[in-house]
Amino acid sequence: MHTFHIRYRNTQGTLMRILNAASRRALDMPLVQAEPSESDHAVTLMLEVNAKQVGQLSRDWYAIVDVVHVQAGISTQTPGDLTHKSSPYRASAAVMAAGAGTQQALA
Amino acid sequence: MVFGYPGGAIMPLYDALDGSGVRHILTRHEQGAVFAAEGYARVTGKAGVAIATSGPGATNLVTGIADAKMDSVPLVCITGQVRSPLIGSDAFQETDVFGMTLSMTKWSRLVKSIDEIPAVIAEGFYWACSGRPGPVVIDIPTDMLKASVEFSGPAKFTPHARTADAKAEPAFTDTVIALLQQSKKPVVLVGAGAKLSGAIDELRRLLDRLNIPTFATVHGLGAVDPEAPYYLGMVGMHGTRAANMALHENDLLLVLGARLDDRVTGDPSRFAPDSKIVHFEIDPGQLDRVRACELPIIGDLAETIPAFDAELNHAHLPDWSQWRAIACGPDRSELDPRGLAQPTIRFLDELFSRLPKDSVVVADVGQHQMWAAQRYHSDCPRGFVTSGGLGAMGFALPAAIGIQLAKPETTVLCVSGDGGIQMNIQELATVRRLGLPVKMVIIDNKYLGMVRQWQQLFYQRNYAETDLSDNPDFVEIAKAYRIHAQRLNEDQMRQYPVSQETADEIDRFLKSSEPELLVFDCHPEANVYPMVPAGAALSEMLYEEE
Repeated sequence: MHTFHIRYRNTQGTLMRILNAASRRALDMPLVQAEPSESDHAVTLMLEVNAKQVGQLSRDWYAIVDVVHVQAGISTQTPGDLTHKSSPYRASAAVMAAGAGTQQALA
Repeated sequence: MVFGYPGGAIMPLYDALDGSGVRHILTRHEQGAVFAAEGYARVTGKAGVAIATSGPGATNLVTGIADAKMDSVPLVCITGQVRSPLIGSDAFQETDVFGMTLSMTKWSRLVKSIDEIPAVIAEGFYWACSGRPGPVVIDIPTDMLKASVEFSGPAKFTPHARTADAKAEPAFTDTVIALLQQSKKPVVLVGAGAKLSGAIDELRRLLDRLNIPTFATVHGLGAVDPEAPYYLGMVGMHGTRAANMALHENDLLLVLGARLDDRVTGDPSRFAPDSKIVHFEIDPGQLDRVRACELPIIGDLAETIPAFDAELNHAHLPDWSQWRAIACGPDRSELDPRGLAQPTIRFLDELFSRLPKDSVVVADVGQHQMWAAQRYHSDCPRGFVTSGGLGAMGFALPAAIGIQLAKPETTVLCVSGDGGIQMNIQELATVRRLGLPVKMVIIDNKYLGMVRQWQQLFYQRNYAETDLSDNPDFVEIAKAYRIHAQRLNEDQMRQYPVSQETADEIDRFLKSSEPELLVFDCHPEANVYPMVPAGAALSEMLYEEE
């Protein structure tokens, strides 16, 4: 499982374009967590991908207008671990954790 | 100049267009509008603009938007949307065009306030034309179009800087030169990026200095001097024998602005097996898609080519004459056209040889597209236009309209098949209304020819649903649109050189100041060769019928 942290400006459609890059490859998305982050927004995705896809996805995301930064890494955590992590922006975070079998919208 | 088709939600914009000084070209279908806008953009390098109403108007733009994305065409699509309070209610002619085009646009906006329209338009045009060009969609609810605001002049857009933007290190030239010095069989592949950069003179200077076997993708045609002794023509599925062999055998591949898509590489696992790849590319998203490259050089070719050439000027390069003699030698020259396609190829040769040098040939999609790409050797970077990445049938006729409007003094030759022409044949009305002197050719084999060719070669001649033998009489159809039309047949091309009478017919067709249609009856089972079968390596070309 790989974890991707993507910082982006929260303009119309940017988050959806980020998710489209995964969905067009029919990748399962066991965790998607989007929240405000410093001056931008950030989304964390956990995806089961191979090394070639890591590179392709990272470049695809970086080519999206309003994506600011892309960081990829191999995850040692499960989707459940990440959904319960503390976040300074937790109050406004929207969390979708398919792995936990829940779909929460925290407001 | 904008291209479009009016409808309910976009009516206020059309009302304002009247008397605005913006020239609007009415096509007969929104797909015609978007392809015409693409044609305009492809030959000018400026953004093409297509306008449509909400719902079906917007959905009819989608194929053109996808086409512009694949072929890096700057395109701004402006769509009307239902009134803001109705959005999301499945109102009459409501579609989520913003959502449905997210994956194929570079940027898009659903306008939420009339105040933001100038800034949105400015940003849209910026993204359409900047970096790797592409399509944008601006969806405007009809209540925004009806509202009034104090206009304080066009807005200007300044993008946010991205500190982490990848860029070629200045020292990249040393690495490439070192790779060249180690190489025994280097080659260059030129793609559309070379044209889009505008650095054609710089490119040709670099290629002259390198003097190594060079070939082009279908969108790279025209970027390289076709008379250059190192130039081997088009590469890929229907590329030349020499180009495909050199691409297969090289040990160093310099890719200049090409995506290396599957039509160019053949089987990726057997693509250029001994090659190290140096990939000059403006869009990092295009790197390593099919095969990992050894050295990515991110940046606009207008900057990286001159930087590379300047350093190359001082470098000592190996003698590659032996490799050049093999790759460019007579053993690999093209076979004379033969087989069932010979008369058609002769016909295209006759046409192309009579064209003025600055002509634009626009090809639709199918066998005729590949024959045209193989036989038209343009020396103009934007002299050959086609839907390459998406392969959208119906592209050529409306695109030719946009091209002719952009270049009124230029000869524009539109080559279609009998399948493709019927996908946007209604645009003959646009040609007639505007009196555009577009020269239209239909290669009529009464089949969906390329599909039939694959059925013949790979599906045991099971010609499932490709038979178009009940085609209408295209000459009569043209006449109904008040367009002069004539027919040539294969027999007129069996004689070489062609008879004076046939030559005169072709000359009259090309020199007419009016729109003209010429139907050429092609053998139903003529095939395009060479051909690299799907899943084969580039070296495994088929040359002719068994």
